[in-house]
Amino acid sequence: MATVLITGIAGSLARLTALRMLVDGHRVVGVDYRPPPKAHPSTIPYTQANYNKTRIEDVFRKEKPEVVLHLGRVGNLKVREGKRFDLNVVGSAKIMELSLKYGVDRLVVLSTFHIYGAHHANHIPIYEDEPLRAATRFPQLGDAVQLDNMAVQWTYRHPRLRTLVLRPCNVIGPQINNAISRFLRLPRIPFLLGFSPMWQFIDQSDMVNALHLAWQSNAVGVYNIAGTGAVPLRKALSLTGRKLLPIPAPAAHGYVRYFPGMRAFPPYLIDFFKYPVVVSDDKFRQDTGFQATIGIAESLQRL
Amino acid sequence: MALLPPLATVDPEIEAAFQRLSLELNELGYDAWGFHPEKAKMLYSIARRIFDYFRPRIEGIENIPDGRVLLVPNHSGQLPLDGLVIAVACMLRADPPRLVRAMAERWFPTLPFVNTAFSRSGVVVGDPVNCYNLLAADNAILVFPEGARGSGKTWDHRYRLVKFGRGFMRLALQAEAPIVPISVVGAEESIISLYDAKPIARMLGMPYAPIHPLLPILGLLAYLPLPSRFYLDFGKPMYFEGPFDDEDDRVDIKVAKVRNTIQSMIDKRLAIRESVFA
Repeated sequence: MATVLITGIAGSLARLTALRMLVDGHRVVGVDYRPPPKAHPSTIPYTQANYNKTRIEDVFRKEKPEVVLHLGRVGNLKVREGKRFDLNVVGSAKIMELSLKYGVDRLVVLSTFHIYGAHHANHIPIYEDEPLRAATRFPQLGDAVQLDNMAVQWTYRHPRLRTLVLRPCNVIGPQINNAISRFLRLPRIPFLLGFSPMWQFIDQSDMVNALHLAWQSNAVGVYNIAGTGAVPLRKALSLTGRKLLPIPAPAAHGYVRYFPGMRAFPPYLIDFFKYPVVVSDDKFRQDTGFQATIGIAESLQRL
Repeated sequence: MALLPPLATVDPEIEAAFQRLSLELNELGYDAWGFHPEKAKMLYSIARRIFDYFRPRIEGIENIPDGRVLLVPNHSGQLPLDGLVIAVACMLRADPPRLVRAMAERWFPTLPFVNTAFSRSGVVVGDPVNCYNLLAADNAILVFPEGARGSGKTWDHRYRLVKFGRGFMRLALQAEAPIVPISVVGAEESIISLYDAKPIARMLGMPYAPIHPLLPILGLLAYLPLPSRFYLDFGKPMYFEGPFDDEDDRVDIKVAKVRNTIQSMIDKRLAIRESVFA
């Protein structure tokens, strides 16, 4: 049984993954830069530490994890850009260095499909070795792209660490609190009039399963993760059973900026409401045996 | 198509043709590009009215082989009505019916409503990855190697093929897919352009801005397509061999063979055509 360090443990995906590992008899320790949430289970030791400060090293020194799941990427744009850079780029570099220094055997870094960037010329599907367009149109995504780039370099610069970089599509679920899950829970969900690009979703339970298969597999490198297929956005929104609100595309940026209910909505996602980013997860399924089991409709209905 | 309620019915012939297609779709009835037979049937039913408007005479459609194939026509008529007529012809006149996956200009996803109508009916962005994946799944691909340069031809250049791109040939070689050359005659006369107003095109973000001879009299009504009769001639499939990543010059020789074949098919049809409208 392994000792597993999970970053971002205040988040639901990390917590669900940790609980799953406890069931299998692994020892889990959690870190996060945020204070522990009320829902945090007492069975998982919790250390509050910035990933870019020295305190995180104590956790490595004391706990000697064999596996590190770096799930603590900060996607939230409300966090100041400077702080996000410190956490995502400087912090991730630190976690990767410490993993190497303290003899970690397996490092899994959670990235995102957003870094491919929504663009009208995108082909379908997008494979792992393709250029990452996101930062050219939205410099705010620069930290996510850089985090991913660093982790990918790590896979071949330090083969001993057996690094995996995962780029999942939209992770949704009743307990997930990312921008998309929150968006899909709005009483009236806005969409861009005349646009309905293909979207992919993966349910929280499938994502936990994917992470689980991932770290236990022999796979090394970069992998896209998708759910059970792609569906037009309009169709997906109607599957939530909520009311929809059409917004003319030219008004979208203003709406996101000034409408009070949309303050937490990251503007870089607007392009994703126009143009598709459909990823291929063939490689991940081949190398880990992963198969998503929760259908898109089911997953959206139980949000 | 909520905007067109009276048209949102499915033509029985279209329905019957769709029933005979074998499609790979996900649990919700879509493919990865957004093709959705339930919507596509309605859109094809509307397209069928446009098809009937041009009363196409179709020859050699039985030349389309089973499995993967590239359909390569000339491009003309300002609007992609030639592509629409070919797609409906392959659905209604080919036996068994073929669903055509058309490769469209890369900017079509930027057009509101057009992008969804295109995607639901099987059009995809003209990109080598899309094309290869669809060929590998044994689809019929419709590609216009002249691109927008072809459809934007002015009247003085009608029925003269412009330069072909090489992409379609490299994909045919890579996917080992035959090419069926197609000539479309009649589209040049449906919407006439005397002059391409490039500054206006640039301003509007369009690939070209056709100036119709009757524009001063009819205004935008001039752009309604005239009921010219379309002639679609499907040639024998052409098979090419060789490395897909060959030097441009060597690929150009193969491209020229296809281009010359289509040009001679067009010339032959024009020589025997007696009237533009009858």
